[in-house]
Amino acid sequence: MGNSLLNSQGLTVKFGGLTALSDLNFSLEKGELLGLIGPNGSGKTTCFNTITGIYRQAAGTTSLLGKDITGFTPQQIYKCGITRTFQRLRLAVALSVFDNLLIGDSSSLNTNLFFNLFQRSKLKQEIEKKINKVKKIISVFNPALVDKLYEPVSKLSMIDRRRIEVCRALISDPKVLLLDEPSAGMTQEETRDFMNDLHEIKTKSPDLGIILIEHEMNVIESVTDRCIVLSYGKKISEGSFKDVSRNPSVRTAYLGED
Amino acid sequence: MRNVILRVKERFVSISVIFVTAIFLTVFLLVEDELSFTVLMLVGGGLFYFVKRRDCFKEVIVFARQSRYGFLICIFLALLTVLIILRNEHFALFMIASVALYSTVCFGLTIQLGYAGLTNFAGAAFFGVGGYAIAVLSSENFPDILSVLTGGFMAALVGSVLILPILRTRGHYAALVTIAFALLFKTFLELNDTLGGPQGLKISSMNMFGWDFGKSFFGGSFYLNYVLFSLLVMVSIFTLTRLLEKSWIGLHWDALRIDEISSASFGINISSWKILAFTLGNFFIGLSGALYAKMLGHIAPTNFTFGDSLILISIVILGGIGNPWGVIPAAFLIIVLPEKLQFIQEYRLLLFALLVILVLLYRPDGLFKKALRSFYRGWGKV
Amino acid sequence: MLLGSLDQYLINGLVLGVIYAMVAVGFTLFFGVLNVIKFSHGDVLMAGAFAALIAYISLQNFVSISIWMMVVITTTFAFAAMALFGAIVARFLVLPLRGAPPLNTLLITLMLGLAVREAVRLFYPNGSNPKPFPKLLPDTDIFIFGLEIRHDSLIIIFGGLAAICFLHLLIKKTRLGLSIQAVAQDSETARLMGINFQKIVLGTFALGSGLAALAGVLNGLYYNEINFSMGLLLGVVGFSSAVVGGLGSILGAIIGGFLFALLQTIGAIWFEVPAYKDVFAFVVIIAVMAWRPTGLLAETKSDRV
Repeated sequence: MGNSLLNSQGLTVKFGGLTALSDLNFSLEKGELLGLIGPNGSGKTTCFNTITGIYRQAAGTTSLLGKDITGFTPQQIYKCGITRTFQRLRLAVALSVFDNLLIGDSSSLNTNLFFNLFQRSKLKQEIEKKINKVKKIISVFNPALVDKLYEPVSKLSMIDRRRIEVCRALISDPKVLLLDEPSAGMTQEETRDFMNDLHEIKTKSPDLGIILIEHEMNVIESVTDRCIVLSYGKKISEGSFKDVSRNPSVRTAYLGED
Repeated sequence: MRNVILRVKERFVSISVIFVTAIFLTVFLLVEDELSFTVLMLVGGGLFYFVKRRDCFKEVIVFARQSRYGFLICIFLALLTVLIILRNEHFALFMIASVALYSTVCFGLTIQLGYAGLTNFAGAAFFGVGGYAIAVLSSENFPDILSVLTGGFMAALVGSVLILPILRTRGHYAALVTIAFALLFKTFLELNDTLGGPQGLKISSMNMFGWDFGKSFFGGSFYLNYVLFSLLVMVSIFTLTRLLEKSWIGLHWDALRIDEISSASFGINISSWKILAFTLGNFFIGLSGALYAKMLGHIAPTNFTFGDSLILISIVILGGIGNPWGVIPAAFLIIVLPEKLQFIQEYRLLLFALLVILVLLYRPDGLFKKALRSFYRGWGKV
Repeated sequence: MLLGSLDQYLINGLVLGVIYAMVAVGFTLFFGVLNVIKFSHGDVLMAGAFAALIAYISLQNFVSISIWMMVVITTTFAFAAMALFGAIVARFLVLPLRGAPPLNTLLITLMLGLAVREAVRLFYPNGSNPKPFPKLLPDTDIFIFGLEIRHDSLIIIFGGLAAICFLHLLIKKTRLGLSIQAVAQDSETARLMGINFQKIVLGTFALGSGLAALAGVLNGLYYNEINFSMGLLLGVVGFSSAVVGGLGSILGAIIGGFLFALLQTIGAIWFEVPAYKDVFAFVVIIAVMAWRPTGLLAETKSDRV
């Protein structure tokens, strides 16, 4: 337990009278890719929102590398090294690709008022450094994106937007990455490209722990090391995809059989 | 010397566009009767069409981008020409100073509304705080330059009372806070006898470091003092506003304005950025309010109604929300046009209202859309 | 002096509370169906009062009818005129901005309010001066529970309450009301269920605006004077009441309306200068917003960003 990367015990979330997540236990190891699956409304995104501090948990604790991070604000969680993407992309589409990526690296920026207003040449040096950093990261995914650095995100295709969002989450060099249904709204080809991207991430940063929410079962099958299945806010199964998919209660949850 | 002549030749079209515009605006400020106004408008429309057809505006923009100093010198000379022509025209000079100060107010609102996304429907109230602060200080023989700064600080200070409710509320709930403040501020002024009640207060003219603003400026109108100082203030605050936009600070504001949840998930401390924008904006608003009150020579609650706050917001929207460049022409339009058209004066508010409704319906980005951020000159050129 | 008029304060507070509640209910209705604030609401109230006045003057010149008949006809006219106006505004100004940021709707209706206000000032004969509003209700006194009440105050209080109750029944019991509730709950699903979204929105705006016109008439009957700028303050007061009660809740709007009247009454008694009552009321409203950012009755959410 002590040396697992991310560890949640008894995580419970309530909205008014509704229990969205009840007594969830899970842990994530370094370098592991954990799949979080389950039917719509089973509490997957709620789980992400709770880990990242957007929702308050009613009960339960979360720790990162043994350090208790329960009840931290989203800002603190980010600074501890947990970043995420959103199911419905939350990019600032009116801003340039560069701006969007830098939002992901906000804590490394010097926001001193005097520095920003009057030390413009130093600021320019800092910006140029950031440009190189950004270029390096996005060229891993799609070298063509380097040329679009100064264009608004609204001009990009769906998969490129997903890539930007993943880059935004990766640029601060996090310990844990939470991916919320990255294949949503993508074509099959794009999904395949995206799976390659995932492999790329894993080889580039071998220590990074990833939790992936996904509906596309072939994605889950081919990339995850382990899976957790949620239904109505409860964990009903855990194990490798093969084991999980054979579990009868999982079939019931998905197909609604009795 | 030859070099300069060559450069001027190269930019001849741009330079003439700038000077023709300057001359046009000068005549515009001078015209008084309806007939000449109509003629002027027709001439202006024709010129605009001619210039636009030949893409001369684009050339001006290219000029501004490629040789910034040349462009600035050109603008400076054009402005100088205007001021020399108008040196004895009290009213025209008063208008120019008003446009400069209202633009400055709107830079403050741009930081709040356009950058950080904070709706401030009490702009005129903070404008008034600055004015009343300087009115009180003037009677105490306080140095004027410090009074002007104090006007800004007072506005920021009074605004800090609203910070807690503004940070805790969102959207419509947040709008209510500033609307309620705008209304209570005006009622408070009308009832407060130490601040002169409905009659308001008289203010002595500006005097700093022996520069007496009440006296004629090198044989011209005394308003020239105010024009020069207001323009100076406008240019400085414009520069600050733009520098903020083109820095990490502007990036943070943009991020939280567009999406608070994702900004928070990337470590952006939403409250402190909002406080910075609100306070800084109010400081700029109060500063220009103080200067405006000095120029006017008196101050009364009727200048700071909710309707005036709406006019300020209209300028920001008309100029293109978040675009300080657009603010200046929008302020010129909204401040000067009704003064020029005496027959419209009565219908002024009605026309504003309809104009803003039309802009919101058909051109929600304003007359001049905000461009993508460029951090420094030559941004994005590989 | 103060003690003697305490019951006057009470009656006055009740009348104001009813009028504020009527305005606030309109705000809450619009917010319910479209998530928008229609800020011209106060000016619709003012225009409603003027519409009633116009109806009164023209009727008075041509026909002689009983005073009660007059009340009914002028009120109906004001209601109908503003209901129509409300629907037109919804169709041409509010619905086209659905995809835009909510601030834009707030602004466009603020500007519309300004336009209505200015139009009345400029185009109604001598419109910048206050206009006398006819005394149509009897102003004799009666005593209830030892309280001295004028007949007209009583009629206004109960008339207003009746209008609000009627609206409440309309929303709870009729087909139109159920559709309004459905749209307020979830407009997408309501549309899929075959509810004509646009019709419901227009209907709601007509209803709310008509209610504002009624409030305007009651206000005119109470003060026997109306003016072009009365709507601004009433609109902000109604908006504050709706917000303090929690936008979207009709009960909250009613409570908010009476709360605001109570605050003003306390302010008027407390301060030596009664005009400070508005300053006091708004200060309290701002404080309430800092304490409960989504109103008194709103659910607390676990979302804390």
